[in-house]
Amino acid sequence: MNKRPRIILYSLVGLSVVISFFPIVWLVLTSLKNTAGIYSWPVQYWPDPLTFQNYWSIFTETPELLRYVLNSFIVGVGCTVLTLSVGGLAGYALSRLRMRFAGVLMVIILSVSMFPPIALLPALFQTFLNLGLLNSFTGLILAHTGLFLPYTVWMLASYFRTLPVEIEEAARLDGMGFLRIFFSIILPLSWPGFVATGLIVFIFSWNEFPLSLVLMTQDAMRTAPVGISLYPGEFAFPWETISTATVIAIIPVLVITAIFQKQILGGLTAGSGK
Amino acid sequence: MNAFNTLERRTQFVGIGFVTPTFLVIALILVYPVVQSIVLSVGQSSVDGFEPYRFVGLEHYAALMDDERFWRSLSVTLIFTAISIPLELVLGVGLALLMNESFHGKGLARLAVLFPWALPTALNALIWRWMYNADYGLFNAVGLESGIIGEPVNWLGDETLAMASMVIVSVWKTSSFMALIILAGLQSIPRDLYEAGRMDGMSRWQEFREITLPLLKGSIMVALIIRSMDALRTFELPFSLTDGGPDSATETLSLYAYKVIFEFVEFNAGSAIVVVQFAVIFLLSLLYIFTLRHKD
Amino acid sequence: MANVSLQQIGKSYGGAVAVEAFNLEIRDGEFLVLLGPSGCGKSTTLRMIAGLESITRGDLLIGDARMNNVDPKNRGVAMVFQNYALYPHKTVAENMGMALKLQKMPKAEIEERIAGVADMLGLTAYLDRKPGSLSGGQRQRVAIGRAIVRTPEVFLFDEPLSNLDAKLRVKMRMELQELHDRLGVTSVYVTHDQVEAMTLADRIVIMDGGVIAQVGTPREVYDKPATEFVAGFIGSPAMNLMTMQSAADGSWRSNESQLVLPRLPGFDTKGANTIRVGIRPEHMTILDASAVGDDPWILPGKVMLAELLGADALLTLSVCGETMTARVNGVDYPEQGQQLAVRLNPEQLHAFDHDSKKALQV
Repeated sequence: MNKRPRIILYSLVGLSVVISFFPIVWLVLTSLKNTAGIYSWPVQYWPDPLTFQNYWSIFTETPELLRYVLNSFIVGVGCTVLTLSVGGLAGYALSRLRMRFAGVLMVIILSVSMFPPIALLPALFQTFLNLGLLNSFTGLILAHTGLFLPYTVWMLASYFRTLPVEIEEAARLDGMGFLRIFFSIILPLSWPGFVATGLIVFIFSWNEFPLSLVLMTQDAMRTAPVGISLYPGEFAFPWETISTATVIAIIPVLVITAIFQKQILGGLTAGSGK
Repeated sequence: MNAFNTLERRTQFVGIGFVTPTFLVIALILVYPVVQSIVLSVGQSSVDGFEPYRFVGLEHYAALMDDERFWRSLSVTLIFTAISIPLELVLGVGLALLMNESFHGKGLARLAVLFPWALPTALNALIWRWMYNADYGLFNAVGLESGIIGEPVNWLGDETLAMASMVIVSVWKTSSFMALIILAGLQSIPRDLYEAGRMDGMSRWQEFREITLPLLKGSIMVALIIRSMDALRTFELPFSLTDGGPDSATETLSLYAYKVIFEFVEFNAGSAIVVVQFAVIFLLSLLYIFTLRHKD
Repeated sequence: MANVSLQQIGKSYGGAVAVEAFNLEIRDGEFLVLLGPSGCGKSTTLRMIAGLESITRGDLLIGDARMNNVDPKNRGVAMVFQNYALYPHKTVAENMGMALKLQKMPKAEIEERIAGVADMLGLTAYLDRKPGSLSGGQRQRVAIGRAIVRTPEVFLFDEPLSNLDAKLRVKMRMELQELHDRLGVTSVYVTHDQVEAMTLADRIVIMDGGVIAQVGTPREVYDKPATEFVAGFIGSPAMNLMTMQSAADGSWRSNESQLVLPRLPGFDTKGANTIRVGIRPEHMTILDASAVGDDPWILPGKVMLAELLGADALLTLSVCGETMTARVNGVDYPEQGQQLAVRLNPEQLHAFDHDSKKALQV
């Protein structure tokens, strides 16, 4: 390639990077300003003074915002563990056990994955109310698991399909039963698939909004996206608090994404192709 | 002779054991609620069961036909989808082509594509809401200083501008997802096709027209349909960005249904809206599955 | 060690028949090769013996016990897979000892057995390595070792050499042969490679489209192919086959060329109007063009193409307008365009019924 297209290429890449990052950069800058700096005109582009006061305040004055983040963690981890264990078994059976109707079951799973969450709300709210599952981690973890299971089954099934069948057959000749094959052969061999799928499900759960909004009605039980969105209350928007809480709430997903970018990228695109 | 000997029967038995938990959860969380929504939408009851369920037929649907706010939210949803999806597609294809080139700093570029996807939509809406702020927002500051706008603009206060603002946030966040799917499609195109194209004397544009685009059709279809279904159920974006305002100009079907159910506490009327939305999305999802099957 | 008996064994998926019911007795200690093109049912047959595939009909006996519904691990069989099927996350020793461990054999005894087999296969230095760090040939040895350690009644091989490069394949083939001589365990070996089949087998079973075409020693399938399919499949380059019609004087004429052959001695051609006559490329004698004369088995021909393979050369000939291939000595052979004469040795002719494709009785 000659020089001119290289320059164009790099400017386009640069532009994309800037456009992708500026909202997050602006958010972080806002969180580092004091209240006067946030509400100043002309706008302060660089915090003056640069202060961590807002972060300190969150810990001392509005710890409920940290509680939201903790809730998100509990729900996210619970949902990821449950989804992977339940979905792993199903994905294995549907991709590897030569079950009858496996194709039909996979299509059913794919179809229900497209149900809009809002359509679940009236009945789910009512059912959870009756079962006493509103405002419980168990309830929301179960709901998120239901929401993300179809994706998990499809992803893991496509990972299992990449393993050579002969290994399982050799294991059967060696005398292993189905459960043993699953736990001592399939699991160790497909952990990259489990990692990628688990990370994506965790991010899905962390970001999920409608069910978290409706099934957690008590303030103390809210997840981060819901709690922070509802924090402003009726009148004023305390942006110094909101921006800081938002930074804290997005750090986990952004850090995970940054560290595991290759796995996540692979996981996202694998699901679309199959 | 015996068609199912023990090997097959045992495999089947174990298989059923392995898939049962998944189908139980799916039945409880996904299937039963949808069925129940349909039941609720043709009846009258109260959430707590105080008012016993009574069948009212299509009463709530009839009421919807006369509900201006329903029609408005439907058109908001459709307009939002119809504008943002094509924009996302163009940007997504562009980004994918860019990502498919080799250059230094690929890791950073990959993050630039993944970060918008990974951000929680609701919090992302808050971030943008602050940048759109009429008094202290970044956009007005930059706009005024560069002379693009003459006076501060109330981005989220005007009906048309609010819709445009919402589209921009959505396009910013989801073009990258589109790009990821299309990139995967791009990478599955065999390199030697381009080499053959070069031997045939194709220009880069002709390569794109004659090789890339036709072979990308499948991935583009998949991306379009997934994203359309997503856009049709947009909920937390207007919830956090505009609360549906001004004057319901950004109130999507999902948001309106939520308000009817949980703010007006009209479970049955809200269920009718939800069922209509479900029908639209389900038809689209059938199209999706058909497309996928067709592709194989 | 045991004999294996397949009695009216057949396999179908839904309505589609994959293997037609057949009988086969595999003798104790025999090396039996299932040979055929892909999709002929040879692998399915092997997998039915292994217990990886259910048996739709018939009975499978190993030793004298019916095995149809016995779990693979209890059949006394061990299998070597095409792509080795080693557990990538376990060491060589763990791979080899897995079956014994699952049988709850004492650890010391497992180690002893592994050490013995590793020594025999030259794997001792690699016992603690994972399969990923081994070469293809070493992995193949581990896969074989895993089978030997179990001291099975029957060895099953599913195209075990097809992932190796040509040189290694020859070497492993010889090792397998030595191994069988040493251990004497009944072996069933699936391959599509006729050289492997000819060199390894005590008997070859040639399959085509789910049906057994012939069972015989390598000598028999080469010398007396039972069907036209076997005739074409065994031997390289393939046998020349011509369609001939019977004429009133008892001679045979081709409709597509000027080829005329005299009455075929030794074949029962009664009632046959159209037959297929075959001759192997190595059974044709090249003579000077002037040799055409009284002997009706000497025919005029012309060299269309001459290819040197090394020791041999292949001649593509036009004999009375019929295209045939002849294998000749590579030192001195006629060149392209040369006119010559060909003698088809009548004792080495083959003849098949045109419709049933079966060999005509001698």
